Amino acid sequence: MSPASPPRVPVEERLFSLVLALLATESGLTKNEILSTVQGYRQRYNRSGDNSNLERQFERDKDDIRELGVPLETIESPGQAGNNQNLRYRIPRGDYELPADISFSPEETTLLNLAARVWREGSLSGESRRAILKLRSLGVTTDEPVLGYAPRVRVRDAAFEPLSTALEKNVIVRFGYLKPGETDARTRTVAPIALIQHQGRWLLHADDQDAGATRNFLLSRIVTPITTTNKRHAAFDATATGAALAELEKIWDERTATVEVEPGTDAAARLNKRRGTVQLPDGSLQLHYSDFEILADELASFGPEVLVTTPPELRAAVRDRLLRTAADHG
Amino acid sequence: MAERAQPLQAQDKLTFLLSLVPYLMDHDRVSVAEVATHFGMKPEQIREAVRLIGVSGIPGETSAYQHGDLFDISWDDFEENDQIVLTNRVAIEDAPRFSAREAAALIAGLQYLSALPEHADRAAIASLMAKLSRGASAAPSQVAVESTDSDATLALIKQSVASGVQLEFDYLNSRGEFERRRVDPLRIESLDADWYLRAWCHLREAVRTFRLDRISNPAITDRAISFGAEDVTLPETLFEGSADDLIVTIEVTPSAAPLLADYIPDGAVTTERDGLLRTSVRVSHYHGLKRLLASMPGVATVVEPPEARAAVAEWAAAGAARYE
Repeated sequence: MSPASPPRVPVEERLFSLVLALLATESGLTKNEILSTVQGYRQRYNRSGDNSNLERQFERDKDDIRELGVPLETIESPGQAGNNQNLRYRIPRGDYELPADISFSPEETTLLNLAARVWREGSLSGESRRAILKLRSLGVTTDEPVLGYAPRVRVRDAAFEPLSTALEKNVIVRFGYLKPGETDARTRTVAPIALIQHQGRWLLHADDQDAGATRNFLLSRIVTPITTTNKRHAAFDATATGAALAELEKIWDERTATVEVEPGTDAAARLNKRRGTVQLPDGSLQLHYSDFEILADELASFGPEVLVTTPPELRAAVRDRLLRTAADHG
Repeated sequence: MAERAQPLQAQDKLTFLLSLVPYLMDHDRVSVAEVATHFGMKPEQIREAVRLIGVSGIPGETSAYQHGDLFDISWDDFEENDQIVLTNRVAIEDAPRFSAREAAALIAGLQYLSALPEHADRAAIASLMAKLSRGASAAPSQVAVESTDSDATLALIKQSVASGVQLEFDYLNSRGEFERRRVDPLRIESLDADWYLRAWCHLREAVRTFRLDRISNPAITDRAISFGAEDVTLPETLFEGSADDLIVTIEVTPSAAPLLADYIPDGAVTTERDGLLRTSVRVSHYHGLKRLLASMPGVATVVEPPEARAAVAEWAAAGAARYE
């Protein structure tokens, strides 16, 4: 290394210095002011030459900081509208700081710690880890609950991470989707609205660009890698996720099946404990479901312990599944 | 805290720095050890962050990072006593907001935990979620998990631990046998939609895992527990292999392979042929295997041994025969 090489400043020091500098300025700093004065940039700033590498670094840093929820904003210099070189950057304190009236009790903090532990893999584990760091900055101490919990939701569908990124960036995606009963996957072009876990399965709720309506896609039936386009869409209303979940609940509530179960079997124990199960006067069980194919798979696993009575399509589907399994193993 | 301290990425380190400063502002003097415990990190990670904060600041009017434009700490206290005393601060005045995705992860986590007795007060949970939304930099909306009703068995298990008495219940094992079990509850675990109790079983005199939906007629006893969670080291994995386990070769379509991930033992060899994956799964007996395979019609098939194939075929045929 030549003696003129600037000392290396760690990434977190550069990012931290950038946040501090932008929080401290009311009127904002121009890109040039940032690159020439802020710790981590200034060491590499060339006063008389080309700074395009450093500018690209700044662009990436801005993205990284915004991803953490830091509201980095740009304002135009007075009388210089449209001049990119004179855009000014700042972090407005009111949008950066947690509102002063928000506090969390020890009980709430315990619950939030537990909620964060649900996510132990994928990008959601990083999000929860950072949320908990911020929560701890408030200094609330907690006791471990008397009964220990180790909750875990898995995010093992390969489509989850790319969809999660697309959701954040409001971009249109394409993927091959295999509907049950069809042999070939069909390409869908959608604007993702939310990722929802319902009945233990992850679904993508999205605006289907070809159908011109919202649809739910089971992640496990996405059979190709996700293609992210560079087409952006307008952000969806914050209530869209809640509405989609409510719609799923409505479907689940409306769809019922009746089954007979052999007393004392695994099927009797588990189906009785299933959410929403009602025991009918004749002893059979009424079950709620949202996805026909998933219920058929689940009921088939019980073999002779379950007999489907209604609806007839479910009866046929379970019977066909069992015949198929028997034939494949014959 | 129970979780292990992990090495941090740059974004995590930045988040930690932005979180540590307000914490230090609220504590006139605090030891490195106390901060490490509070944030669930190693003492050296705390020292590294404090050293960085101590020399950081804003360019200031002179653009030269003058003394008054920097954070400062009492370096003697820090170097000699491992104590942190912030003596000058700049720019930061309060804790940062959550990002929309961070708040969404916590809200979805809370939704998932709605079966817990701690969630019985639904109004309090709703207000907690509203606070997270309000404390986020943008509306957190992109992830959601279905809520469930409070689980009565969970409430009883919690009561048993809180009062230090054994719990008993009828348990149907996966071989289809009912037994009355008496246990010392140790921990509640879950995997997606399935919930489990890990407990010291007085019948087996060993730690056992019980599926909550196979437990019936639970009751609190008046016998004191023999073991608490602090007395027993629970293995990390919910399902442990045993020497008596059977190894079965199966063929599965690649898209369905993740459904079998929990059954594939470490070191299993997976090969691909004609678009199908061939691998091995570990099962404790064929009673579990036949149920698993019957839930994956057309996508997974047992190759060998023949007895395993026969067990699956008989199970499915007996099921189909009920529709004759």
